[in-house]
This record gives sequence, C-alpha cells and structure tokens, in this order.
Amino acid sequence: MKKRGKGIACIFYGTGYGNGFPDVSRAYAELQPDGKVAIYTGATEVGQGAKTALSQIPAEVLGLTVDDIIFINEDTSITPDAGTAAATRQTYNTGNAIKMAAEELKKELINIAVKELGLNSDAGLEMKDGKIYLKILPDKCITLAQIAAKQSEPLRTFATFTAQTVQIDPETGQGAPYWPYTFSACAVEVEVDTETGQVEIIKAAHAQDVGRAINPKMIEGQMEGGFAMAMGYVLYEDLGLENGRIWNNKLSTYIIPTAMDMPEIQNIIVEDPESTAPYGAKGIGEPVMIPVGPAILNAIYDAVGVRMTEIPVTPMKLLQAIREKEKQGA
Amino acid sequence: MKKISLTVNGKLYQVEVEEDMRLLDLLRDKLGFTGVKEGCSEGECGACSVIMDGKLVTSCLIMAFQAEGKEIITIEGLQKEDGTLHPIQQAFLEEGAVQCGFCTPAMVLAAKALLDKNPHPTDEEIKEGISGNLCRCTGYAKIVSSVKKAAEYLNKGGK
Ligand code: FES
Ligand code: FES
Repeated sequence: MKKRGKGIACIFYGTGYGNGFPDVSRAYAELQPDGKVAIYTGATEVGQGAKTALSQIPAEVLGLTVDDIIFINEDTSITPDAGTAAATRQTYNTGNAIKMAAEELKKELINIAVKELGLNSDAGLEMKDGKIYLKILPDKCITLAQIAAKQSEPLRTFATFTAQTVQIDPETGQGAPYWPYTFSACAVEVEVDTETGQVEIIKAAHAQDVGRAINPKMIEGQMEGGFAMAMGYVLYEDLGLENGRIWNNKLSTYIIPTAMDMPEIQNIIVEDPESTAPYGAKGIGEPVMIPVGPAILNAIYDAVGVRMTEIPVTPMKLLQAIREKEKQGA
Repeated sequence: MKKISLTVNGKLYQVEVEEDMRLLDLLRDKLGFTGVKEGCSEGECGACSVIMDGKLVTSCLIMAFQAEGKEIITIEGLQKEDGTLHPIQQAFLEEGAVQCGFCTPAMVLAAKALLDKNPHPTDEEIKEGISGNLCRCTGYAKIVSSVKKAAEYLNKGGK
C-alpha cells in the first residue's frame, strides 16, 4: 500500500567559527590604471559563488559594475588571509572585509577628487560608472582612470573584519557563541510504499533566511543543492563503516541522488537584513541542508507512524520498523 | 601499441595508443582535452562523458582503440571559433546551473545528445536524459531549467 505523509522542520544555525575563536577576514582594494578596481582576498571559491557575491559587494560600494571588479583570490602569494571557505562564513566575514576596504578606497578617491576638482568639500560628490562628479554641476567630474594616472604608486586600501563571538561559560553553557544566526525551514510530502519500504518525496518547500539576497539565483542553487544532499543523506547514502572500513566506497554502492530522484522544490527566500552584515547578507551554505532531514523523517512518521532514529532510512530498515509496529499493534 | 585515427571536435587525429589505454586517457593525457573529467572510473558518475558518433558514452569504460574511425565531441568542441558559447553553454550560464563545475562539461554534452534527438523534451525527459550524470552541488533544478532554455534557443535557430 502507498501511504502519504507530511512533515516540517525548522532550525537555526550559528555561522562562522564561533565560541570565541578568532574569525578574521582580510582584503585589499586597489585602483587599476584603467579605473577598474581589483579586490585581493584569500577567500576560496569552491562553487558556492564566493567570487560572484564578493564582487557584487564592492561593485555596489563603488558604483561600478561587476565587470569593473577584478577579483583576485586563492593565490596565497598575493592575497591576504581570509580564513577558510567553511562554517558558512565567507559572505558575512569576507564580505564585510571587502566592503570595508572598498569604502576606504572610496573615501580616498573622493578626497583626491575634492583636491583635483578644486572643491571646498566632498558634499554632493557622487561616484558612479567609473566617475566622481558633483551632483549639482556634473561637469565637475574626474574619472577613476584619471585619478589612477596621477598616482605614483597604485592606490590601495586594506581592511580586516573580525566577527564578534564570545566563548560560552564552560560551567553553565550560556553565552553568545555565534553571531549571526540564520534560520531555515522545510516541508516535504512523502509517499511510503509499505510493501517495499521505498520512500519517495512528492513535493517540497524550502525556506531560508538570508539576511539580504545578494544573488537570488545562486541562493536558490544552494538551496536546491542542499536539499539534494540532505535527501541523499537521509534516504540513500550509507558509507557502511565497519571496524574502520568503508564498504560502500564507490558510486555504484554509495548511492547519491540523480536528477530523476528530485522532487519539485519551492524555494522561499526570506530577507531580514542583519545589521552587522555587508548589506545585511548572511551566509547560507550549510544551513540549507539541515532542516531537510528531520522534515523527511517527520513526514515518514506522519505516513506510516514509525519514528526512524537512524539514517539512511533504507527500504530494509523502514520495512522492518513497519513490520515491528504492526506486530505490536496486533 | 596500435595506430588509430579518430576525429575529435571535427579534427582528424592519428595517434599511437597502448592496448590498455582508455579513451578517457587518450582524450585527456594524449590529446589534451581536459574538459573530459575523471570521477569514478567505473561508469557511474558520467563526468567523463563524451559524444561518440552521436551517442553519449562514458569514456572511462571505452578502450582507446575502440575509438578507431569514430567521431567524438568533447566540451572543447562546442563553442564557436570566435568564442561565442554554444546555446546550451549560454543557458547554463544564465540559469546559474554551474557550481563547482566538475559535472558541467559532461552535463552540457548530455544535454546536447538529448536535444539533438529530442528538440522538445519534457522536464521528465530532460531528467532522464541527464540521469547518468551525477551532480553533487546543484540539486539538478537549474540544470533542468537550462536544458529547457537551451531547447528554446536552439529551436529559434540558435542564439
Ligand atoms: S569517470 Fe567515467 S563514469 Fe565516472
Ligand atoms: S556543479 Fe558541482 S558536481 Fe555539478
């Protein structure tokens, strides 16, 4: 018999290293001869979209397009340390460092513009499309390339951002170990085949608090990827670890989801800007995965009335649990 | 050693290959088509897929000498000479279907193999068409929508 059930789960997740551990990101912003701006930072791109999001932030600060940002990362001989691409921390931490370096550069550029244009103050100066100009008299204008040409060495600014985290009280376990937190929720509908123990996900909705969505499409991609990964984790993926040996060490036995396994997922991006974050944006890399598992397990419970306490919920394990429950009921 | 000739991305190659060499190694190591990726080496992940005589095949399971006289397309053969992306590549870019990128070259080829045969696939047919290619990052949704978009571009006569 096929039985359907629905389940929800929600979670909160502290991003960054947390618990008082120094969580530091650094970045340079440097004016290029052609008026573009180079960002140097150690942040690593592993497919999460760091290069894109971390280029959008300085572009916004400097009134440039993303194409005018030259993003230089990962090369440790020329970039300052920005910590690991881990703990869902790059958008928030390195994003903050880059934003600060870009703001510093903007300040210097404006100061130079005031002098070069012979103005009394920086009031009413705008910076946009590679130019600094006076809003009330746009002819009073200097391009970033012109400013670059006047420098004897490249104009470069540096910024460090250190996240605020406090070690928890070891005795009471109280404190503020992380900042910021992010929140996610997931709802799924499953269909359980009580003859085979197979679980199929029919439909899903997935909501993620992002602070501010710097790149909505990439956020959706992370949410869908996190969903798939969690779904595999909860329903298929079994390392088969026995006495230090992994039995399922191949993709022929360690089964991960294919396109055919994926249900329709409705993504809901929740924006609630975080005051300490770059333009309010928080990281979402890890949290997108977390509520999916418990939501599936709850849906299985709703469908067939058994609480699965071990993952993956393989057909064999689920059948066993269903049979046991039937026995108890009989 | 065996001498074979094959066409890769429209160019004829004559190469000496060892009997136990896989097509994957010939393409990557001898001919330099590093867009062909090695994932599992056992025909499960699809990362090594190339199009051989119009069919998507896993190059880790094919011996190099079996490619004698065949026509092969790798990801390097898709973009035009002037650097314009193939409509499928363009669609992947626009839809954000690429994260780490490891599965991408083969995914694009899987999409091409599908669309060459079936220019108007349904979502289900697309999912089936790429189901031999594993992706650990995207959850496939953006890949499916890219293939849909690519189909539109191609049906409008290329972009
Ligand atoms: S490397 Fe050939 S299918 Fe995985
Ligand atoms: S984008 Fe990373 S495996 Fe597909």
